[in-house]
This record gives sequence, C-alpha cells and structure tokens, in this order.
Amino acid sequence: MASTQHVLLSPAELAYLHAALSLTPPIRPDGRAPAQFRPLIAETGILPGTNGSARICFADGTEAIVGVKAEVERTRLADGATAGTEWEEGGSARGEGEDDDGGDKAGDSDWVGLTVEIPGYRDDDAGTAFLGAMLSEALLADGAFARRLWINRRFHWKLYLDILLISPPLSYPLPLLSLTTHLALLATRLPLLKSEGDEDPFFDDDWAAARHLYPRGSGSSRTTKESARPPVTLLVMAVGNNIIFDPAKEELAVADVALAVSVAEDTAVATSTAATMDLDDAAVPAARSLRLLSIRTIDPPSRLTPPGVPNAANSAYGATTAQNQPEARTAEAEAVEGVWRAPRGGAKPLVMAALVQKVLEKGGVADEVLDALDAVDLG
Amino acid sequence: MGLKRAVAGRKAAASGGNSSKYEIVTPGEVITDDPQWMRGHGTYVAPATTSIISSVAGTVTRTNKLLSVRPLRARYTPEVGDLVVGRIVEVQAKRWRVDVGSTQLASLPLSAINLPGGILRKRTETDELQIRTFFAEGDLLVAEVQQLFADGGAVLHTRSLKYGKLRNGVFVAVSGMGGGGGVVRSRRQVWTLESANGGGPVDIVLGVNGYVWISKHVETPEGLVDKTSGITNIEESVSATMYSSQNDRIGPETMREIGRIRGVVTALVDNGLRVDEDMVMRGYHEAVEMAMASGEGPEDIYLGGERGEHLAAALTAV
Repeated sequence: MASTQHVLLSPAELAYLHAALSLTPPIRPDGRAPAQFRPLIAETGILPGTNGSARICFADGTEAIVGVKAEVERTRLADGATAGTEWEEGGSARGEGEDDDGGDKAGDSDWVGLTVEIPGYRDDDAGTAFLGAMLSEALLADGAFARRLWINRRFHWKLYLDILLISPPLSYPLPLLSLTTHLALLATRLPLLKSEGDEDPFFDDDWAAARHLYPRGSGSSRTTKESARPPVTLLVMAVGNNIIFDPAKEELAVADVALAVSVAEDTAVATSTAATMDLDDAAVPAARSLRLLSIRTIDPPSRLTPPGVPNAANSAYGATTAQNQPEARTAEAEAVEGVWRAPRGGAKPLVMAALVQKVLEKGGVADEVLDALDAVDLG
Repeated sequence: MGLKRAVAGRKAAASGGNSSKYEIVTPGEVITDDPQWMRGHGTYVAPATTSIISSVAGTVTRTNKLLSVRPLRARYTPEVGDLVVGRIVEVQAKRWRVDVGSTQLASLPLSAINLPGGILRKRTETDELQIRTFFAEGDLLVAEVQQLFADGGAVLHTRSLKYGKLRNGVFVAVSGMGGGGGVVRSRRQVWTLESANGGGPVDIVLGVNGYVWISKHVETPEGLVDKTSGITNIEESVSATMYSSQNDRIGPETMREIGRIRGVVTALVDNGLRVDEDMVMRGYHEAVEMAMASGEGPEDIYLGGERGEHLAAALTAV
C-alpha cells in the first residue's frame, strides 16, 4: 500500500536526505531528535453535538478533527443468548466488587463504525481504506474496547467515529489521525444508565452525570480491568540503522522501512489477580507497562522514486557516454556515493526488533506521547 | 498550512507597532465609500457606486490617496528578471513545465538552457530525445524569469553559470507572501555564508517565489583559470557538473549547519517575519548563540515550536 501521493523530490535531494538521516546521530531536515515529535496543538470538546471530539494541529499545518457519536442499538441475540446469567449490577457500578465476567460482556467489532476522510481522496480510495482499517484494528485489537459499549444483554452502544483530516495531506496522516482519535475517545462520555438488568435502557438526562468511556484519574471511577487509555498508533521509520519517529513527508520519502506500530497500556498485569488489582492500579501512573497491539508495514514512497544518475553514466556530464546504454544500466545498479538509489528488499530483522524495542521501552516514545496527551484538558 | 500562515500573519499585523495603521479586511468588505480614494491592488469598485471593496483577505495599505489590500497569503506573481527556484513537474517535447509556486506552471524551453560543455549550437532532435538527461521530473533548478505571458505565465531561462540544476542541499518552500512573512525581493537573493562550528561555506538561494535552497558551497574550479587561462574553459568545466545529480561528499558538520539554516528560515516564516539576507544572517547567528547556550551544545539544531518563537523574539527585539 503506497503511503502517500507521489512525492516529487529530485534524486540529489533524496541522496542528501538519506545521507543526513544515515549519520549517527541522524540529522533530520527540521532538526528534531530521532524520537522527537512535531510540536502540536490539541483541544477537546470542540463539537457540541458529539459525545466526544478532539482537534489536533501539527506544526507543519496538518490538522484533524474527530467526532465520536454514540447511539443505543439492540444487540442481535445469537445462539449464545442464554449465556452469562450472573449480571448483577447496573452499568453505572462497573468499578469495584465486580467479578471477572469478561466472557459475559463480550463485545462485537460491529459496534464500532469508523470512517476516515482525507480531502482530495475518495472514501473508498485504497489509502483511505487502509488508514481506517489500521485505526480500527488498533482500537479493537485489545478486545476490551467493544466490551465498554455493553449496556445489557439486549442492548449496546453503537459508536461512530468520524475522522476528518481538514488540511491537505502534507505528510502521511496516520500519527495525526491516531492521536486525535485517542484524544476524542478519552473525551467521550456516555449518559449514565439508570435502568437495571436487561430492561430497556433508560438514561440520566443530566449530561454532567455522564460517565467517561475511559474513566480518568486513579481516583474513584477508574476501572481496573481494561486498558485505561485508547491505543495510539505511531509511525516509525528506519534509515540504515537509525530509527526515526514521526517522519515528515521528506523523511518518509527516503525511508528504508516504515511501520505503523499500535500500542496500548498493558492490561494483563491488572487483570492477573483480583487481590493485587488495586496495587497495580495505583502503580500504573508511575510505571506504565505497554503492550504491542499490532504492527503494519507501510510501503514507503521511497520505492517509487527515480534513481539518480551517477556522473560516470551521465551523458549530459561532459557529453561523453551517450551511446553505450547497456553500460549505463549496469553502472546504475551499483551504489555510488552521493547518488540516490531507491531501497530494495525488506527490513532487516535486527532493525525491526530494535524498532519495536524503541517503541515499547520504559521512558520510550510511546510513554512520552501518552504523557504528553495526559496533559490535554478534557473539558 | 494556509490557515496557519494566515493566522501568523494576522498576529504579526495585530501586534505591529502602529496597530491603527493595520486593518484586516475580507473579500467583499467595503473599505470606504469616500470618493476621494483611488482603488489599488486587491480592491474593486462596485458598478454605479463609489465604494471601494476588498477582493482579497488582507491588510489595507494607504499610499497617499491610493487604497490597496495586501493579501495575507498569495501565490507568487512572476516578474521579468526574478530569480526563482523551481521544480520540474512535466517534461514535454521541447520544453519543461516548472512549478514555481505561481498560479500556473512556468515553462523552460529547451532552447533556454546551456548545453553541457558550453557548446553554442542549435538544439537538434538528438537533444529533444535526450531531454531528460538535462532535467527530469522532480529535479530542482534555479532560473530567471525571462518573459511573461499575458495570462501571468512565466518563461524561464538558465543561460548563465549561476543558474542550473541544484544538488548538495535541502529544499524548503516558504510560500505565502504578504502579512509580513515570506521571501521578499531584495538586493541579493543568492549568497554564501561562512557557517559556524566548522561547517564551511554554505550557499543560500532565496527564490523570489518563496522556494529556498540551502546547499554546500561548491568551489568553482579556480585552479583551472591559472592552468589554461581561458574563460571558455571555466565555462566548460563548470557546465560539465551543471546537469549532475550526484552529490559531493558532505561532512556531518556541514549537514548540521545546513539543517540549522533551514530551521532559521522556517522559524522566520512561522513567526511572520520576512525572509531576506539580513534576517537569515541575523537569525543564523542568533541560532548558533542559542545552541551554545542550551544544554546540548552546538549539536542541537532544533528550532521548532517555542525555540522558533524565542528566535523570532530575539530578532525583533534588536
């Protein structure tokens, strides 16, 4: 899947960028450190008609808004309609004292509808569809997300996520869309359920009493069983042995490998034993453990770039070798310093391992991003 | 980008020293209905009225009795003699189409380039067949506007040793004039800067169209002059590398300083300051000082976000 529209860069520019990014430490064209993100402006609650919304604007001018809307939908009762009879309490008390009834509150990936809109592209464009698939995959990969939408055995919330890029896609918009979706989901609130059991659901009119889909803070309402945060998908690329995060368009144009890595805060620790649950919960803010949800390779546009012509084979260089075309072809196949060659072949396993390691390590990039997003006021 | 630039421009306009002088108007807004004013660029007079109406979003400027509106953001309008940086987007039989950030693609005829080796002859069919060996799609070049069409389209030429294909550096587009930001026409658009921290000389080309090229300075072969003492030979050897797309060896120090200059240019634009030789030089020296003062030392070239704002504040304070 090609990650962006064709990037038009000259072979000399590509060779320069590749050389600069291959240095140790790499010199990025905008001077960022390898793991540094572009500065961004974020706000939530911008759309009053939605259950949750967010807007993020990157410093390069790309901007996205996400709106989350929820509606009650009747659950299709399949063959397992009789399963899970021990539902005791209303949805409002999902906190302490609840048994591990994960099997009972099984969600369905149909409960989340996600649409991505990129200006200038059809919504059934392969690139747009791939973006949407990646984002929903990350969201549903932990299996716990759809469970949050469970109301009772007969009803559930259907969540519509509308993801809009409102600037032209100047760089590959995946990280931007993912971060905006993350914020919007954090800000999403659902009305408080007043009915009990399997009755037709009946909600509290008071919006102030509405519950967050992802309860925040280590205080009262924090649920412990599921990941406390929606997942984030990070775009990571490698040039030589250097690993670079949040690449800009020019950087992606010389990438050897580009990966979309989705991570979420770990849930396995919290769910392991009921006894240590509270302890773990308290420990989460201090030392967050991250879980890898998915990795997707992205075809970097570098593969489609035209190769540079070395001086030795350039007929316009001194006008010497114009006739012997076959020789010029072979000369192109060999690497010449300062001449751009599109990367060939796949990623080196060691680089891939290092890449995932860099994302997941303590105090790594994912940690930093989640911390930064923590600082956003959810209104 | 557009919105952001516009906002940056607006900010600059609002915080300008004489705030009453600046006035933001939107398209269709009546600026005045006093018949004593004459209408200038960016305005029109509605039929059968005397009111002057803005046709663009921008700041009102009054020159004697002439009212004009400087757009917050506009595409480049070519003028004969402008030095521009462009990118080839299309190759046709006898000419190239070049993106110069204007409303239309500029054209560069095959007859308006120097042939390698400085040969002076008529362009033949062989040249037409080999047109991509001179410039191919995506290639960057520096050229001069030779001629304008009535519709505003430009014809370029590279018939000088100063012009031609660009290599050994980075490109940055700072399109968007007006509102105080962007590249402005000035005395010198191309100069060589002796960079700090052992980076060596660095060439900067500020295209009037807002496309900027920052590259390692390549020495014109001085030794050749002594040896052969012929001006034609210099031309030959220089133009031999004219269509090369192979970069020279560039040291990490030079790359770092090139990156720093690129950071300065983007910081200037983001903060609504004009980009010209004086500002870039002052900004660069300021950036070097800032890096020295910061914890990471001269290796730290990041100038985005708040650092860019500090840089701009330091430049405007002087």
